[in-house]
Amino acid sequence: MSEDNLVQIRELKKYFPLTGGVFRKVIGRVHAVDDVDLDIVRGETLGVVGESGCGKTTLGRTILRLLNPTSGQIIFDGKDITHLGGSELREVRRQMQIVFQDPMASLNPRITIKNSVGEPLVVNGIAKGPRMRDMVLELLQKVGLTEAHLNRFPHEFSGGQRQRICIARALALNPKFIVMDEPTSSTDVSVQAQTLNLMKDLQDEFGLTYMFISHDLSVVKHMSDRIAVMYLGKIVELTPHDIFKEAMHPYTFALVSAVPIPDPRFAGKAAILSGEVPSPINPPTGCRFHPRCPFAQDRCSKDIPELRDMGNGHLVACHYAGTLDFGRSAQQEYADSFDVPANA
Amino acid sequence: MTESREDIVLEVHDLFTNFYTFEGTVRALDGVELFLRRGDTMGLVGETGCGKSVTARSILRLVEPPGKIESGKIIYNEIDKQTGEVKPIDILSLSEEELLDLRGEKIAIVFQDPATYPNPVFRIGDQIAEVVLLHQDLRYDVIDMKIEKLEKSLQGESDPDKQVHIKEKIEYYRELRKDPPEPDKKDAKAAAFRRAVNMLNLVRMPSPESIAMQYPHELSGGMRQRALIAMALACDPGVLICDEATTALDVTVQAQVLKLLNHLKKEIGTSIIIITHDMGVVAETCNWVTVMYAGTTVESCATKNLFTRPLHPYTDGLLTAVPKLHENKERLPQILGSVPNLITPPSGCRFHPRCAYATEQCKSVKPKLTELEPEHWVACHNPLN
Repeated sequence: MSEDNLVQIRELKKYFPLTGGVFRKVIGRVHAVDDVDLDIVRGETLGVVGESGCGKTTLGRTILRLLNPTSGQIIFDGKDITHLGGSELREVRRQMQIVFQDPMASLNPRITIKNSVGEPLVVNGIAKGPRMRDMVLELLQKVGLTEAHLNRFPHEFSGGQRQRICIARALALNPKFIVMDEPTSSTDVSVQAQTLNLMKDLQDEFGLTYMFISHDLSVVKHMSDRIAVMYLGKIVELTPHDIFKEAMHPYTFALVSAVPIPDPRFAGKAAILSGEVPSPINPPTGCRFHPRCPFAQDRCSKDIPELRDMGNGHLVACHYAGTLDFGRSAQQEYADSFDVPANA
Repeated sequence: MTESREDIVLEVHDLFTNFYTFEGTVRALDGVELFLRRGDTMGLVGETGCGKSVTARSILRLVEPPGKIESGKIIYNEIDKQTGEVKPIDILSLSEEELLDLRGEKIAIVFQDPATYPNPVFRIGDQIAEVVLLHQDLRYDVIDMKIEKLEKSLQGESDPDKQVHIKEKIEYYRELRKDPPEPDKKDAKAAAFRRAVNMLNLVRMPSPESIAMQYPHELSGGMRQRALIAMALACDPGVLICDEATTALDVTVQAQVLKLLNHLKKEIGTSIIIITHDMGVVAETCNWVTVMYAGTTVESCATKNLFTRPLHPYTDGLLTAVPKLHENKERLPQILGSVPNLITPPSGCRFHPRCAYATEQCKSVKPKLTELEPEHWVACHNPLN
């Protein structure tokens, strides 16, 4: 089984210290990622969703060792990389890349695209000079850009093109694993469709494994084989199914029910989760969702629920998973309204 | 668009706005046509750079240099509260002083980023009170406040002599209320603050009194956005423009804010323009939609018509390019190419280089917005059917 897993993380924790006072004393900790176990299978796309501040970006960056974990273990391709450093770490990092949310901020405005995309090749001693240029051109063509773009600067491109340049750069070292951190949240719908299609094509071509982080549930659902739902630093549900139809954690159901439905017939039917995400500095005891959960019982405020397998690899961290009746969400009704003509 | 002035609260005709930059003239708005019916919620949708926000800023004359409104007409039809007569106000011909009366009082706007808009160094309540103080007649409020205060002290008073005295005072103020004098500054401020608290209550803030005393950084994004909505609604404007008001929020908080907007519209009867690029938000809140592309209006119709029968190829592309929550598709249909550079916009119909149905006519002749079907305006030579 572990042969199939490209990434395995065990009990991963990442806390950020909060300092205060004259002597910068640690006065608290932000529990950004708290005790996360996760396997990412070779060739799959794992979607990670959650509200802002739930720790999805921190999780992605910690896996790549861009942030050092507080405790826990990260195994990449059968090798424990939790405490690697120096040249060993650099060697592993060739295998894993990240595409950030804001492409303008992640491209150096004073360097041409050729040099930006070619930099990983030069740094790692793979190619330079004319050979580097040829390789960069090949990469750019893969993402739908042409030779004419080689010597241009980032400001000469549109947002969608810039994001494609970032993807080309991530591909430069032929990685196995790419973390996509909200790659389309700053682009428009028509450009978003182009970028998402491109990412799927590249995955098929290079056999990539993606971790796709986004807050847009429809996009994550479109891209992912499995979806992990995070809430306050913890994974509350990990499902290979359609989260719009088969949510088992009350938070997932609430999150899904809040998505606006692009159909005026269903206007005003989205269910609303009251309250806001509590502070990750002092997260609630027991199940972290219990103060907002409509099904919460006494036990939920005391015991921390473990991720349990509910069948077919559908993991849920809820004491009462499977016994709760959420009713039908407007989103389910909406989806079903399309099924009827197809069956009839 | 031949409708009586009573039905339509805001109309924009043939609006041109340019930005004079070093690289050249950006023709941001190229003959925008809009109208907003009284009591409607209209969605203004389109991609980045299509001119949605410039339109909103032009309506309020907030376009700053190097931008300039070149030509066109923006008319706000005000109904006189006493006589019920409709008084059209031509916004583009107003002077700077007259604009101060328009902004905030007749047309209010809520901007996208709740983190940058409330002034960080003033309390939430004071910021809302400032708007009220500038625009509203507070004479009645001040006297009501005083009567309220006296009535409260009357309840706690046991001495009959003093009770008589307080009652006399209340009578005096009741008499005064018929023709209230101009209040002094301190009283007016207190009355404005009281209204601010009422506004916070209206946008369903928990414990509005304490929120009014807090600074913006103490509130979460959703609460700040609600405070901004309260500020915009403080003067009971005829039109509320929400410029991507929920884009920066999480889905669960967004759902809360959208529900609030729906409720407020019923309660206070303001007409709303919601600027967004999310079709889900449009379907959720709006009954009318105007679609913009590259500075032009391409389609304008009722929301349910737009979703069932889009007539413009761009609208159709926009609707199908979004991943649907019910479908399991391998690939998304995409609109080819990208949004044109508005320094050198395409000739004729600005969508023609990306349009699958483009003909020779589309390259040379700019299509006019016409009512192709009843209540359905489209600017296209070859509309879908």
